[in-house]
Formats: sequence, structure tokens, C-alpha cells
Amino acid sequence: MMPHILLQIIFIPALTSIFIFLGRYQIGKKAGWIAGGSLLYTTYLLSLAWLKIYQGGPNIYEEYLLIEPGIRLALLGDGLSIPVAFIANVLCTVLAFYSIHYVDHRIEIIYEGIDERRYDSYYTRFYYLFLFFPMGFMGISFSANLLVMYFFLEALTVTLYFLMAYFGYIERVKIAMMCLLWGIFSAVFFLAGSLLIYSQLGSFAISKIPALAGNPLTFWIICVFLFGLFAKLAIFPFHVWMPWVHAEHPTCIAGLLAVYANIAAYIIVRVLVLPLYNDFQVFGIPIMVMAVITMIYGSFLTMAQTDIKRVAACSTISQIAYSMLGLGALTMVSIEGGMFFFLSHIMGKTIFFSTAGLVVYTTGIRDIRNLGGLARKMPITALLWVCGAMMLSGFPPFSSFTAEWIMFTGVFERGASNSTALIVGIIGVMAILLTVGYAFLAVKNVFYGPLKPHLEGEAIKDPPLTMCVPLILLVALSIVLGMYPKIVMNLLHPVIGGALIPS
Amino acid sequence: MDIQFAWLCLIFPLVGVGLTPVLARIHPTLRDYGAVFFSGLAAFSAVTLLPYLFDQPSKLPIESVYVWLDAPIKVSFGILIDPLSIIIANVVAVISFFIMIYCLGYMKGDSSVMRFWMLMNAFIGSMLLLVLANNLLFIFIGWKLVGVCSYGLIGYYYRDEQKYWIGGPPPTKYAKPTDCGLKALIVTGVGDMLMLGGILIMFYYARTLNILELYQTSAVWIPEMAKSPGLIVLVSVLLLAGPIGKSAQFPLHEWLPEAMAGPGPVSALIHAATMVKSGVYLVARLIPIFYYGYWVAGCSEALTFFTLTAWVGVITAFLAASQGLVSLELKKALAYSTVSQIGYMMLALGVTGFSQGILVSGYAAGVFHLVSHAMFKACLFLCAGTVIHTAHSIYMHEMGSLKKYMPYTWFFMTIAGLSLMGVPPLPGFWSKDAVLASCLASQNYSLFIAAVAAVVFTSFYTTRMMGMIFYGKTSENVKHLEEKRAHLGEGYRTQTFACGVLAIALLVVGVLGLKFEHFFHGVFEYNLVEQLHLPVQHAEGNASHLFVPILSVVCVLLGAVPAYFLYIAGKWNPDTILQRSSFLQVFHKFFWERWYIDAFYNWFFVRGAVNLSNLVPPVAEDPWDKVVHKWMPSFITKGGYALLRFMRADTRDLTYNVGYILVLFIFFIIVTVWGLK
Repeated sequence: MMPHILLQIIFIPALTSIFIFLGRYQIGKKAGWIAGGSLLYTTYLLSLAWLKIYQGGPNIYEEYLLIEPGIRLALLGDGLSIPVAFIANVLCTVLAFYSIHYVDHRIEIIYEGIDERRYDSYYTRFYYLFLFFPMGFMGISFSANLLVMYFFLEALTVTLYFLMAYFGYIERVKIAMMCLLWGIFSAVFFLAGSLLIYSQLGSFAISKIPALAGNPLTFWIICVFLFGLFAKLAIFPFHVWMPWVHAEHPTCIAGLLAVYANIAAYIIVRVLVLPLYNDFQVFGIPIMVMAVITMIYGSFLTMAQTDIKRVAACSTISQIAYSMLGLGALTMVSIEGGMFFFLSHIMGKTIFFSTAGLVVYTTGIRDIRNLGGLARKMPITALLWVCGAMMLSGFPPFSSFTAEWIMFTGVFERGASNSTALIVGIIGVMAILLTVGYAFLAVKNVFYGPLKPHLEGEAIKDPPLTMCVPLILLVALSIVLGMYPKIVMNLLHPVIGGALIPS
Repeated sequence: MDIQFAWLCLIFPLVGVGLTPVLARIHPTLRDYGAVFFSGLAAFSAVTLLPYLFDQPSKLPIESVYVWLDAPIKVSFGILIDPLSIIIANVVAVISFFIMIYCLGYMKGDSSVMRFWMLMNAFIGSMLLLVLANNLLFIFIGWKLVGVCSYGLIGYYYRDEQKYWIGGPPPTKYAKPTDCGLKALIVTGVGDMLMLGGILIMFYYARTLNILELYQTSAVWIPEMAKSPGLIVLVSVLLLAGPIGKSAQFPLHEWLPEAMAGPGPVSALIHAATMVKSGVYLVARLIPIFYYGYWVAGCSEALTFFTLTAWVGVITAFLAASQGLVSLELKKALAYSTVSQIGYMMLALGVTGFSQGILVSGYAAGVFHLVSHAMFKACLFLCAGTVIHTAHSIYMHEMGSLKKYMPYTWFFMTIAGLSLMGVPPLPGFWSKDAVLASCLASQNYSLFIAAVAAVVFTSFYTTRMMGMIFYGKTSENVKHLEEKRAHLGEGYRTQTFACGVLAIALLVVGVLGLKFEHFFHGVFEYNLVEQLHLPVQHAEGNASHLFVPILSVVCVLLGAVPAYFLYIAGKWNPDTILQRSSFLQVFHKFFWERWYIDAFYNWFFVRGAVNLSNLVPPVAEDPWDKVVHKWMPSFITKGGYALLRFMRADTRDLTYNVGYILVLFIFFIIVTVWGLK
């Protein structure tokens, strides 16, 4: 086994980032390939770690003393963190390659007429900022310590701020600020919760949190955490930032934004549900109800959108709520399903968003009413979009179907003993129909029908291979996980099942 | 001759999907014949399973199982071969193969035919997965996949060119293929999702989704489920929603008439012969469970499943047949007929639970009608495809006297049409007779009367259809085509061949009809009674034996004779009769508007959802966004600034300074008083 594997996975992107920054004028447009290469390497490392755990190896634990006496960087690679990190990393890799052309195009539009040196500076800037995303995601996934987790949460927020402000769409600076404030808002609550835990336990270690069980303060600690994390997850009524942010950010990081929001579901499982399962019970039904409200509200909101990017944004609101429904049901099966759904959703959303990006990249049009009939000109893009729509709506053979099925098995298990949960479950499965509605309606409006006259030009065609191939591979990955879910479930189950069965 | 063939049956079409793009790169002809070849292999594999039914029924059921997932829930994937799955797999694979042969001619020259072949083979593979899977989850996977393929094939002409629009003629609205595809996906989706709920609730109690295990352990889990009052009713409703949606039964039947927007053979394959039967198949799969629940475990709620199935079936049979009476579009008339005929199958399966004497006869009747319907309806649709191609019109009133141009198609379509009407000795007669006999045996006479009324309607609309296409006056449209010297004749040889094979098969099955009926009866009796140990009573010889066939023939005549005079002999003019009678006009309008159900759904669900979604931003999202992103920040910044202004010591305003001092004093006093306490 590779030494310091987790440390490498987290910090190699950061080191690559520094490297790109230092050599920015020499590297220029090669930055995308370098970033992609470094992420391919970390993906390889993650596959090694995955394989090791899959074969029943022990959890990977690494600890580094940062400052005497007790500030440590504690990292844990187990069956829960590795799949999350792996999928997030794969998405980062896919989007790094996807961005090679996209960023080029974006800079041409925003910073029209700049000289080559400044161009290189902007181009490399995208990548050295971008690489902090994988660092942040890997950091959050592997943190065994609340403070370390907080650090990576904030790192993501700051990275997002700069990327958005430099490369976003029309109101990018204002929205970047809004996004930063929301990010800090949730991180502050996370920090407050962590400090409350520290006040009770004298430690930030996640492994110590079970000692809080039964503590009268636990209820309030969970409340503080959930308050912050709901804002990150964009659960109704904390969702208002999502449409803005998704509408204005550069589409090439859209998939990462879905991870940015949805990773809070992982944090909830890791920090709250697993260690404090019994104390968390009171939150179960309210979370389910909130989730189902968000699902329906988000779907209707999506249907009302005419901006292709906002469609994807509002759909994220509704989709994230699905995984929350699974968590809220609080059965072993539903939590494992919810986590699997989280992974499936971020893959689906990456496809959906990035394909929307392909359309915007090619046509320069965001208003769906001005699009139509593109399937004739862009068959691969159309096919990818249909796959994205199927992934969001939970169609087999994609992993979201399997995940949804496992999750709802858990939800109905809960429903057998609780009629509210049963009603929520039935409404929940019916709400999937709204997803089918808006996702396939968008397919129809954008790709089917007669081709609009202003789209006749020769420039309207499928984008270059570096943009399509990574997405096609991602679709293939989703199919593999959907057809052979053991790959994920055999990792998740020992951790989640192992933590819950005794209680 | 073993279970490997069942696996191959499933795998071949999927291999075909993968290989089609490769073959397309080599040569277009290879692509076309390759696709048909793989469906042929699937058909061959299915046929190799048939000997089990004849020689070794005791060896059935056979299962082949692989563990698919073991944590957090254990699910195995496998194949189940039993009489039901063998029969339906053969219907699917063999009829699909002939339809694929037909497509060789029909799709000639189509620019995106590769997509067509891939979707067709994907459909066949998914349908076979649905039929052969041993487990409700995998049945559901196949179920969803056939839905997606059907969506892709209905909307095959995705450019929505006007020539592919259906509906009309004005003032009735047209529908575009892509809208129709979406409609099918969503309407069947309603059923799918509810069914998923039902399956999962059942899973909670049974802890398995394996069909045989569900049967075997029903003694344990059904009573357990019955402890929660109303739960079995809920599960029955949820589980039936899926078949109701997929098999286009009332109230989820409205998608099928629009599903005809796809190419002709697609309508034949998916929306007549196979996919729409999956609901019937699933109901047949579930019957042993609910039958056990009602007749053995004594859970009275389990009867809901049967009552609901029977009533949904008969209402649909009647409703759709009535709409078929007035339809002008050829394929839509056939679609209504499909909906109506599936209603009969549901009816037969529904009455199985009404009494212990009907289980086997009802079950066998439902499946027999499924098989015969698949044959004659596939043939009708394929012939319709050729006719529409020739007449360059989807409307029957733009055809007329086509018999002289296409004698073969006329002959084949007549055989299939007579079978649909229920004319002896064609298969439709035997199977419909069996359905009616089971229905009568249930002694539920209101069901029986409605079913018989639908027979009259069926006979009328079929005769009308044949008359309008092949007899009567030549329409202006056909005259115009003649003047243009357009090709007015048979389709490609592959098309005629496929229709011919199906028509001959109908004749053969028809002549051996009674034997087939007995065969089905015997096979299912062995399966349900001997193997699954379901209790039955053997019916005493009853009077219905001759009564039903005679009544059935009388009803056929009741419908066919007036239609003959109206549309074939041309003695009466239907338009004049309609214009004279306001009574008939009301009914005509009501049936033409599809009982206003479609209009209601559009108004309530489609417009409702759109209006609701348009309301969300102005009513909820924007105001809340304003509160969070405008008022709150401005409150914090402006309020903070005002607060700062209040709080600074040097305000140059005496009132404020006095105020501060006062507040400070009060504070000190409170603290002191508190401290003294």
C-alpha cells in the first residue's frame, strides 16, 4: 500500500495548484492537462484505497502532528469516506478535462482582447483555483476531526468565491459575494457546533462524538449543525442562494457545486447520524417532511425556469432533498441508500449541468425558449442530456435507480411503523414523476422539434472530444455502479450498518 | 434445451443493441439484417423453452439465481421459467422477430435507422427481462426500461415534422410525436411510481422479492400484513397502478391512443403486441399471492385486488370500444381496440378471485386472450402500417376501396379483423369466449353485461374499419394519388411476408382453438393447483357451455350487420344518419372527445402543474428571495449603521446623552437590587 495515501490524495492537487501558479506564464494552456493528470493520479490512489477496503482490508488512518501539543491532522479512509471521495474526485477529473475548452471560450468572452500574457494568467488562474476543489472535497471526506473538516469547508467556500468572481456569468461578482456569505453562514454554524462539542468532550475528534449520546446539550448541538448544513444543502427555506449561484457560475464547475452542496449530507451522516443515532431520532420525521416539501417545491420551481442553467440549479434543490429523505427515515437501509443516492445524484447532475454547458458553449444561448431541435445538430450532446435526465429521474440501468430503490426500501421500512413516514414515502415516490416531467420536458424543448432558424449555422455541432469523452466515461461509470451496486454498497454497509446495528 | 437458452433469450437482443453501431460502420445492409438476426436468435431461444410446457411441466418452475446485492438487503437476480413466463416470452420474442422482419421493408431509406434498430432490440431485451426475471425488482427494471424504449420509439420522429403529427382533423387538435412520447412516459410513470411503493411495502413484510419465495412464504407474511387494517387494500391499489398504467387501463389509459405517433411497426410491437401486455402479465404473476391471501389466509381485504382488476378491466373494455366506434384515424381505432381488448384480459384475471371455481379457467382465459390478441393485433397494425404508407394518410375516410390495390394486405387484415371481432373459428373467438365464460361463472352479471356490450361495439368498429379502408367509395385522396400515379399497392415483400405469416398462424391457432384452450387450462391447472397448492373447486357442468358462444356470435352479428350496411354495402349513409339525429350527435361528440377524460387530464394535471409552477416564483420564491437577499442585508447594514449612530457617545444631541445615562442608571439599579436579593 502506498505510504501517506490519504495525505497524497488531499494535497497533490494543492501542490499541483502551486506548481501551476508558479509556472503560469510558461505552462499557459497546458494547465488543464497538468491539473487533469494530477487528478488522474489521485483517482488511481483512490482506486487503490477502494480496492483495499473492498477486499476487507482495515480502515486507513493517518495522523500528522501540525502544531505542538495537540493540533493534529487526522485522516480516516473507511468504507464511507472512500466512495464519497472517489466519486467527487472522478467528477473533478472529468470536469478538469471538460474545462480545457470551456475556460478558453469563457475567457475569450469575458476578457475580450487581452494580450497573451494576461490570457495565460487567467487561464492558469482557473486551474490553480479549481484544484482547491478536489483538495476541499477530499479533505472533508477524510477528516477525522471537526476542526480539520471546518478548515476544508471554508477552503471550498473561498475557492468558489474566486472562481465565480473571475469566470462566472453576468452578475458574477455580486453573486460570488452572496455565495461566500452563505458559505460562511453555514460554516460558522458548523464551527459553533464543533465548539459546543469541544466544550463537552474536550476534543474535536469525530470518533469521540458517541460519548455525547444522552447529553442534554446534544439536541441543541444537532440543531446548530443542522441549521448550518441545511443552508448548505439548500433545504427549503434555505434554498434561495442556489438558483442565483448556479445561474452565474461557470458551467464547467457546475457539477462541483452540486457536490459542494450535497457533501453536507455526508457530513450529517458522519458527524451526527452515525455517532448520535438515538439522539438524532427526534429529527427523523421533521427532516423527511422538510425533504419532501423541498422535493416538490424545487420541482415546481424548476418547471418555471426558462434559463437552461437555472433549470439545472433548481433541480439540484429538489434532488438533494432526496438524499435527505433517505437520511431522515433513519433506517440502516435508507441511510445507505441515501448516501448512494448522493453519489448517484452528483454524477447525474454533473452530466446534466455539463451538457447544459455544452449547449451554452456551442450556441451562446441560455433561454430555453430560443432553443429547439438541437438533436439533429448535436446528437452526442442530446444523448448525454437524455442520459442525464434518466440519471436524475432514476431510470435503470443508472446508479440513481438502484440508489433510489435501496433508499425507498428504507423509507417504506420506516413507513411500516409510522404512518407519516408512509405518506411521505408515497408522496416521495410520486415526486420523482415531477423530475421526469421537468427533465424530459427540457430534453424536448432543447433538442426536439424543428431546428430554430438562428441555430442553422455550421458552428452549431457537437463540441470537441475533450468535452464529450469525459462525460461519456462518467455515464459509463454510473451504469457500472447501477448494474453492480455491490462495489459501493459493500463499502458503505460495514460502516453504516456497523455503526447502527448495535444501537 | 435448458435454462441457458432463457439467459440467451435475454442477452441476444442486448448484444444486438451493442453491435448495431459496429455493423453500421461496416455496411448498412449488415446493420439492418444484423439487428433482425439478433431478434431472431432471441425468438429461437424462446422457442427452445416450449418443450417444457408439453413434455416436462413437472420440471417447472426452474430458477437460475445469482446474488446481485447482499448488503444492506439481499437481492438475487435470476431467471424464472414457468408456464406463464414461457408463454409470454414466446409471444414477445417470436412476434417481435416477425415485426423486425417487417421493419426491413418499412424503415427502408430512413436516415436514422440505426437508432431505430438499437431501440427496438433494447426494447425486446428489456421486455424479455421483464418476463423472465424471477424477482419483482428486476421485473420493475425491465418495466422501466421498456417505458424508456417506448418513449424513444413513440418520439422517434423527433423533428416533429407535420407529416408525422397525429390527431385531427381540425378542429380536433394535432399532437406531435415528441409530445406523445413525453405523455406516455409520464402517464405510465404515475403507475410505475405507485407500484414501486406497493412493491416496497410488500418487501418490508415478506423480506423477499423473489416470486417463488413470495408464493412460498405467503402463509407467513400475508397474515402479518393483514394485522394493519387497510394495508392490503393500499398495497393492492398501489400494485395495480403499475399494470393499469402500462397496460393503458382506465384511468391511466389516455397515453396509448397518442402512442401511435411512432412508426407503424412500433405501434404493432410495443403498443399492441407486447409492452402493453406487461401489465396483464404482472397481474397474472400476483394473482397466486392475493388468491392465497383471500381464500386460504382469510384476509377479506385481499379481494380488493380482484374486484379492482375486474372492474377496471370491464370499464376500460367498454369505454375504449365506445371510442373506437367513431375514430377516424386508422391507428387510433386500433389503439382503442387494444385498450379495450386488454380490458378483457384484466377482466378474466380479475374474476379468478371471485370464486374457487374460476381460478384456473379465468387465468387461462386471460393468458389465452393475451396470446391471441398479440397475434391478431400485431397483424392488424402491420397491415395498417402498409395501408397508411400506401394511402399517404392516417385517416380512414381518406382511404376507401383499397382492396383492389392491395389484395394480400386486405386478406391478411380481414383474417385478423375477424379474429378481433370474435368470429369463429379464429383465435379471438375462442379466447373471448373463454373470457366471457369465466366472467359469467363469477355470477357478477353487471360485469358480464358490460363485457357483452363491448363485444357488440368491437364487432361494429372492426367492420367499420375494414369497410372504410377496403370497401365503399374511393376517397378523393386516393383518386388524387391515382392521378399522380403514386404507388398504390402492396408494401415491400418483407412487409407482406410478416403479415402473411401472422395471418396463417391465426388460421392455424384458430382451427386448433379448442385444443389450445384446453392446453392452457391444463398447464395452468397443473401450475396453480398441483404446484402452488391453491385451493380450487371443480365447476360442475354448467349451462354456460353453449350459451356463451351463441351469445357471443349473436353479439358479433348485432355489431357487424349494421356496420356492414353502413360501410361495406353502402346501403345507408352514415353521415346523413348522424346529421339527422341529434341524439346520435351527442354520443358521437362524447365518444370523439374520449369521454372528455383526456381534456380533463390536460386541464387539471398539465395546465394545473404549469400554472402552479408559474405561480411559484412570483408568490413564493421571489418574495422570499427579496426578504433574504434584499431586506435582511439592508436591515443589517442600515440598521447596524443606525445603531452605531445611536451608540456613539459624541452625538451632539443632549437627548441621546441623557437617554444613555438614564439607561445606564436603570441598569445599575437593577443589578444592585438583584445583588441585594
